[in-house]
Amino acid sequence: RVSATTKNKRVGSLILKKNDRKSYSRVTFPSEAVAMDEYQTEEETAFVVEEVSKIIKESVEAAIGGNAYQHSRVNQWSTSVVEQCLSQLSKLGKPFKYIVTCIIMQKNGAGLQTASTCFWDNSSDGSCAVRWENKSMYCIVNVFGLAL
Amino acid sequence: MEEYPNGNEGSFNSEEADGVVKECIEAVVGGDDYSVNQVNKWTASIVERCLTQLVKQGKPYKYIVTCAVMQKTGAGLHTANSCYWDTAVDGSCTVRWENRTMYCVVSVFAVAIP
Repeated sequence: RVSATTKNKRVGSLILKKNDRKSYSRVTFPSEAVAMDEYQTEEETAFVVEEVSKIIKESVEAAIGGNAYQHSRVNQWSTSVVEQCLSQLSKLGKPFKYIVTCIIMQKNGAGLQTASTCFWDNSSDGSCAVRWENKSMYCIVNVFGLAL
Repeated sequence: MEEYPNGNEGSFNSEEADGVVKECIEAVVGGDDYSVNQVNKWTASIVERCLTQLVKQGKPYKYIVTCAVMQKTGAGLHTANSCYWDTAVDGSCTVRWENRTMYCVVSVFAVAIP
């Protein structure tokens, strides 16, 4: 059960953030059978960055994979990236609320800097950022997962 | 009597958040031109400042604040977001700001704590 006390933790710059959330080990186990249950429950209710990252990469490839930047289509592309990600994430069936954001920028030498910060429960919530590019554009997708 | 658009205690007040965000952006990059050396510091300051102001309101929400600053050179930029949450109590607000040399897009997402 997620407690209501939230910790003020800044995530900092998206591009550089490394999120290591794989450590959910317990020291003592009353019995073998109970240990298995506890491990599986944690898997089902934790925000797994690798899994989310894979979903994002697939969604981006599927939506804009072989295309060159086109002003007339970019609206449709960013919408389909976020919708695809969100539907795959909700299919995971985990008890989370999700926020997915996507930025698509044409490559023409402009500088772009993004940052995000989150006020949440560090032990149960998580985020994942994926930076993708091809010859004519950059695509940055962020997923934030907040435990229920 | 209960039909006011934003008089509701239970839902996110996006007009108020909009005001807070605009002030924070003005305070950090108000009179400046795009500078590669400073942009990192600017984006971090904007998000931290917004978050602090929002948390000060003391409402029972978790917040996510994102900010993108882009130099004006004629490139196209498109942002989108999609949220899977409880539409009755959660909400978001996006502010688009610009000056002569750069664009700044800040989004605030507020998720109610159950």
